[in-house]
Amino acid sequence: MTATTVREPSRAHTGRPPGHVLAGTGTLIRLILRRERIKLPSWLLGVTLLLAYFDTVVSESTKTPEQLQDVKRFTEGTIGAVFGPGYGRDAITTERYVVGVYGLFFFVLAALMTLLLVSRHTRLDEQHGRVELLRATVVGRYAQLTAVLAVAVGANALLALLLGGVLAGKGYDAGQGLLFGAGVAAVGLVFAGITAFTVQVTQYSRAATGIAGALLGAAWVVRAVGDMIQDHGSPLSWFSPLAWSNQTRPYVDGRWWPLLLSLGLATAATAAGYALSARRDVGAGLVAARTGAATAAPWLASPLAAAFRLQRSALFWWTAALSVFGFVFGGAADQIADADGISADRLDMFGGSADTLVSGYLGVITLFTAVFAGVMAVLGLQAVRAEEARGRAEPVLATATSRTAWLGGYVAVLSLGVVGLLLAAGFTTGLGAALSVGDAALLWDVTVAHLAHAPGVLVLLGVAVLLFGLLPRAIGATWALIGYSLFAGVFGTLLDLPQGVRDLLPMEHTGRPPLDDVPWPALAILLVIAAALTAAGIAGFRRRDLETR
Amino acid sequence: MTAAIATSGLVKSFGRIRALNRLDLTVESGEVHGFLGPNGAGKSTTVRVLLGLLRADSGGVEVLGGDPWRDAVALHRRMAYVPGDVELWPNLTGGETIDLLGRLRGGLDPVARAELIERFDLDPTRKGRTYSKGNRQKVAIVAALASDAELLLLDEPTSGLDPLMEAVFQDVIKKMKAEGRTVLLSSHILAQVEQLADRVSIIRRGEIAQTGTLAEMRHLTRTTIEADLDRPAVGLDQVPGVHDLVAEGGRVRFAVDGGHLDAAVRALTGFGLRGLTSHPPTLEELMLRHYGDELAEAGGGNR
Repeated sequence: MTATTVREPSRAHTGRPPGHVLAGTGTLIRLILRRERIKLPSWLLGVTLLLAYFDTVVSESTKTPEQLQDVKRFTEGTIGAVFGPGYGRDAITTERYVVGVYGLFFFVLAALMTLLLVSRHTRLDEQHGRVELLRATVVGRYAQLTAVLAVAVGANALLALLLGGVLAGKGYDAGQGLLFGAGVAAVGLVFAGITAFTVQVTQYSRAATGIAGALLGAAWVVRAVGDMIQDHGSPLSWFSPLAWSNQTRPYVDGRWWPLLLSLGLATAATAAGYALSARRDVGAGLVAARTGAATAAPWLASPLAAAFRLQRSALFWWTAALSVFGFVFGGAADQIADADGISADRLDMFGGSADTLVSGYLGVITLFTAVFAGVMAVLGLQAVRAEEARGRAEPVLATATSRTAWLGGYVAVLSLGVVGLLLAAGFTTGLGAALSVGDAALLWDVTVAHLAHAPGVLVLLGVAVLLFGLLPRAIGATWALIGYSLFAGVFGTLLDLPQGVRDLLPMEHTGRPPLDDVPWPALAILLVIAAALTAAGIAGFRRRDLETR
Repeated sequence: MTAAIATSGLVKSFGRIRALNRLDLTVESGEVHGFLGPNGAGKSTTVRVLLGLLRADSGGVEVLGGDPWRDAVALHRRMAYVPGDVELWPNLTGGETIDLLGRLRGGLDPVARAELIERFDLDPTRKGRTYSKGNRQKVAIVAALASDAELLLLDEPTSGLDPLMEAVFQDVIKKMKAEGRTVLLSSHILAQVEQLADRVSIIRRGEIAQTGTLAEMRHLTRTTIEADLDRPAVGLDQVPGVHDLVAEGGRVRFAVDGGHLDAAVRALTGFGLRGLTSHPPTLEELMLRHYGDELAEAGGGNR
């Protein structure tokens, strides 16, 4: 033993001015703004334009009092509670409808914008070792968290002003518009605080954003269930930060005080984040990373099994989420199908006849789910592209695995995933509809209707595979097709899109089951097209170089 | 001996950049072949062509008697590969990754797997995203070396390993060589290649600048001599092949071309030789010889 005395490193900073722990904050704020110069303005602009767009669409479709009465049903009952507590529905106006129903989208977007921002500049930087580089310079312990929170507060304040400005610009009361904007920003701030906390807990940014995202989902569920229990919200609703923003009642009898709750929670979570950040080492989390199996399960022995192993959790969560949404929207069938006071527009959208309103509505819901199954499939294939681009495909293709087996394995897993998703979501949607309408036959009809969309979705996947094989950088172009499918499917009849344009979309050829009969010959042709696209994509992949960094 | 790898006039371009420019590389069966060159010389591109991950624009490639692009799957059963920059699946453990890659190749030896994990001191229960660069590399090394592949393509396999693990790696490669396997070891860590390689190819700007055994290459370069002498070495700088002579009192230091070593040492004995040390050329010097003109060009810009 040596007699050298080692000075105990102290985690408590004794008697030093607070400037020390915040040293460099100003520079870090400028660094964050510099790194965010594209991303953050895009978010702010995108969310602002979305409000302008929603308002235009709602204004266009609520010109007459009859139309207003008609859309009012989306603020009622179960379906209404999905979006909000339904304030102002007794004397519905366009602006009440926009902030009451579409407000949810803005709460979620503000939360996502902020939680991703905070995680990007704290845990993600730390995970990639960039924080070490910074903290080795004259940068205080709290500087990084303070800098990103300052940017988050600034971004949300700006968002509040922008949203208020849009509503004022549309000719609605400016003060109430600002209240709505502040409600959106308040959700953003709550999730800034929550993320400042979760990034201290886990070692990986994906886990940190995952926990924050799960809390956002839970906040929505609590608010929606609370509002289902009791009109305008039950005591349960008030446990959700989303409810506080809803409870400001903009354009009804606006009040600011519920936002104090949001500020309180944001402050408390942030304070907890700061406290934890001082109690851990750079790079470490409070929860140690879990270990796993030392050997692979015996079934993990083929390209197909590997593809399944790498895609399974994404497939599972997509299927679970769409099944839950299917059940909720299926369960709303009886309210939607109430033909009293229905507008001609909505009748058109749901099949054109009051007698087949339930089937028409379910047909639209089915198409929605099918398009989202397409989203899952294309995201899945983009993950395959990431495998290639990030260099993980290389060691696999350096084994006795052919390109056909590798890509084919993924396509097979995604195709089965699409069919499984449609089966599960079809069953839950049909179950919800059968229970609410009281017609057991709907269970079977809706399940078959979902499955009938599988060939169309597989054509979407086929297009993505073709691009992967021939022009991998352009794989994102598939999104245009998916966006257009959704748009044409929902508004195609309303906007009188030419049939020739609609025929280009794979889902159009499936029709609108259960409203329409299942067109078996068309489905067979779609399957052949999907197979041909996939085969061409795989052939292209076999002929091109592997692209790595 | 037959060639495990033979390329002739290999050309590969990426857009306007010509990565491989008529590359001729021959690796005999059973040898450890060092593949040396600085970053961006074309080492990784060559290895990827040999694996059939990239298709050559022109020229001939033969690996284990087959065409790596056409017969990729059949050849890969007999080959193993360690990439220079190892990316693992974030949610698979190291052990799962080793097993998966091994099984996709057609099976791996569980005894060798256990032994290599032990020797490289790798924790196979950790998830891919939690490994450091060195540990990710160990996962790829264990996956490749636990197979019974006859040809190993190792692309800068130890750039993230510490010296202790580096020694383990050299030991394992020596064992592989004793078993008769062929190894292509690409590197810019010269000491490592010096330890292991039977023959060396130096790649430069997409072409092979020189190939041979280390002995052959050293013959072409200069040996450094230091000597203690009784008398001043008058006229030593007139001896053919002697360069960079420095004399301080009774002590001289100079470099001599491989072909003139004999004459230079004879000349020394005429001045009362008391002590003599000689340094064979290191691979650094070999490399400098091949890249020296580039260095001179770079230096010339400053003058």
